[in-house]
Amino acid sequence: MIETLFARDALSTPMAFGLALLIGVAFGFVLERAGFGSSRRLAGIFYCRDMAVLKVMFSGLVTAMLGIAYLTAFGWISLDSIYLMPTAYGAQIAGGLIFGVGFVLSGWCPGTAAAGLASGKLDALLCLVGAVIGSIIFNEVYPSVAPLQADSGMQFVYANLGMSQPVFALLLTIVAVLAFWGVEYVEHRRKTGTCYFNSSSLKGFGTVLIVFAVGLFIAVPSGGMATDEATSGAEHGASTTVMPGGPDLLADIEAAGDHIEPEELADRLLAGDPGLLLVDVRPPAEFDAFHIRGAQSVELNELETYLQPYQNRGLIVLYSNGMTHPAQARDYLFGRGFQNAYILTDGLTGFIERCLKPASLRSEPVPEDVAVRIASWRAYFLEGAQPTVPYAEPAALASVTLPGLVSTQWLDANRDRDGVRVVDLRPQPEYNSGHIPGALRLDVENLRGNIGGVGSMLLPARMIGEHLSLMGIQPSDVLVLVSGDKVHDVTLVGIGLERVGHERYGVLDGGFGKWMAEGRPTDTALLSVAPTEYPADGLADRFTIDYTEVLRRIQDHSAVIIDVRPADSFSGTKSDEARAGHIPGALNRPYTEDLTGIAQAQRFKPSEALAAEYRKLIPSQDAPVIVHCRTGHQASQTFFVLTHLLGYRSVSWYDAGWSEWSARPELPIESQVAATALAAP
Amino acid sequence: MNPYLAGFLLGLTLLASFLILGAGLGASGGLARIAAFSECVVAPAHTRASEYFGPWCDQPLRYYMLFMLVGTFLGGLISALFANRIDFKLERGTKAPAFLRATLAIVGGVLIGFASRLAAGCTSGQALTGGALLLTGSLVFLVCIFAGGYAAAWFVRRQWND
Repeated sequence: MIETLFARDALSTPMAFGLALLIGVAFGFVLERAGFGSSRRLAGIFYCRDMAVLKVMFSGLVTAMLGIAYLTAFGWISLDSIYLMPTAYGAQIAGGLIFGVGFVLSGWCPGTAAAGLASGKLDALLCLVGAVIGSIIFNEVYPSVAPLQADSGMQFVYANLGMSQPVFALLLTIVAVLAFWGVEYVEHRRKTGTCYFNSSSLKGFGTVLIVFAVGLFIAVPSGGMATDEATSGAEHGASTTVMPGGPDLLADIEAAGDHIEPEELADRLLAGDPGLLLVDVRPPAEFDAFHIRGAQSVELNELETYLQPYQNRGLIVLYSNGMTHPAQARDYLFGRGFQNAYILTDGLTGFIERCLKPASLRSEPVPEDVAVRIASWRAYFLEGAQPTVPYAEPAALASVTLPGLVSTQWLDANRDRDGVRVVDLRPQPEYNSGHIPGALRLDVENLRGNIGGVGSMLLPARMIGEHLSLMGIQPSDVLVLVSGDKVHDVTLVGIGLERVGHERYGVLDGGFGKWMAEGRPTDTALLSVAPTEYPADGLADRFTIDYTEVLRRIQDHSAVIIDVRPADSFSGTKSDEARAGHIPGALNRPYTEDLTGIAQAQRFKPSEALAAEYRKLIPSQDAPVIVHCRTGHQASQTFFVLTHLLGYRSVSWYDAGWSEWSARPELPIESQVAATALAAP
Repeated sequence: MNPYLAGFLLGLTLLASFLILGAGLGASGGLARIAAFSECVVAPAHTRASEYFGPWCDQPLRYYMLFMLVGTFLGGLISALFANRIDFKLERGTKAPAFLRATLAIVGGVLIGFASRLAAGCTSGQALTGGALLLTGSLVFLVCIFAGGYAAAWFVRRQWND
């Protein structure tokens, strides 16, 4: 595999300057030889007088395209080590049109003008001077045109067109060869210039190009070279990262700016850090061959979509073999508002070298304590051993991001860490008679009130923020929510946290019951808490909807509506509200179906089982879903299951629920009872 | 030279650039550095404060693309010397006024300089390099160059009148 200067970040070294100069010499030589030291000749293409530009440019483009496709297919070079320009449609369309006008006015483009200047052309000099002025004008107006440069990341044209790379390459080659043949035919008829129409050189060259393009179908495995296509950052993207708060828990990472060191990553994975999402951006084949335990495989072109649910939630770590493409991707993500994306220092190569290489094979002596760490990493990452530090079960590790489930083991091991706070939702007497050491009590009803006439609505962000302030909670804290016998208490608090933009929370799997059953420590001490100023984000809630939105959705059938109340309330046989029945078209999936066990021993069913059950109700993970119950409380649990355990990406919460819907006579309802009653006579 | 042979050699040069530098060919990037350098000399504080050139102000000329541009000039010079094609003149149609041709050359240059910054590359750095990599934006740029060129060609045809 060739390692380019770009991949080594060595393009600003004297050696790179020397090599760039030599490549420039070859470039200028070829341009001059092609006759491009003449503006008249270059402009000829726009008057269909001289098609040399088309012939040379497309021959060069197709040659290089086939060359790079073969080189990547044979594994001699990875696109990882080539700078790939992001696509910015606005800038490239406007720029192309302006450039074209400038090209036909001056008869030059920058490269040919340099060759033209060498041939003594005065107009080339004028054009170059103009181009320098034009660049300065660009700098002066940059702030107003910069929005045009907003890019859509790395885009490959064949992928955009839904083709495989060899298919597109072959089509382009055929178009080029036909174009060559066409212009030669016209020139042959007009008898202009040297004619290559029936020449063996054109026939031979055209044939070779097509043969090589066809050969790509054999050379390129599974129809796409650019499996490691990247989402590249904008050239002028910001490059510093600010973690949302979190000076204590994440201080070590912050110090490194946008990097996480391999040792740090290894320790976090080993400890089962539930706030960590590790993303492998290499091609799936490489991922399958080997990856860091706990990593998810996401191709770079799908990265933004995949990571959307994790934007500024927990910690996203990107890695590839090296650092080039993860760094580009990180910068791109940063530009899109992701402040929590990091790259692994030295990539997978560095991880293997620094964490997994046995102490005995290292060139430098390894201290005893480091040797022990290396041994534990090797045991965990290479031999699949259970972690040495107590941590979440493998199921929880799979959803390694917050919000999510946190195991009792993980909490027990981490509850003393700065920035980890436990919030106990059980009633006052139970809390007072024993709670997890350090736990703060919160009554879920404190977060609800009457809003606009509807009782039991979740309070506005500002008021939830006040509660958090009084509890001494900071945005950087990881909150672990503990339930007694009502799991939906913690999920409602979870929704409250999301309303203020606090994504760093987890639900204690099995709640206080499991904690007690495992004989873990409890405490009755009163906490001393210093109030904080919690900066609630009033715009974080994009998931709560009102009845008008639900009505619109049922009218255009654009969402799956899940009513999580018990079956008898749904059917209308039981009613404690204004009207009996349910929203037309809603599906019934009682929230209790997501749990196993009873009372104190309740916990969520395994994610696989839940996933299979919801797959029958919702067509895809991107399908819009609305969950509701009577007052929003039970539905918060289904919301948590869908968004945080199962990864559904478009779930809305109709907080006011059936208590509002049934009391608004203008809203349509369906009731099996009414239907039966009407059908009876 | 046979244009197809020239194109093939151009493709090989581009490939060599990919393999050695890890970046394609380019010319406007070097011009932009000359522009940044010039502006820095004339108005250092203003340029340093500008958003686009600002970060380059410390060492505007330390950039591989500028060396490539110098190389392009030298390569053209070598080729032109060998072919005895050096000819000091303002190239234009025999009946076209020199003033017209000179004005269009410089105005076209301004447009080219501006557009290459906007599109982050020119015919070589964006259209050819990105085209060979099958990058969507680069191919869109390429198509737009021809659209813009053909749209404007008729209006400036007089400079090539014979």
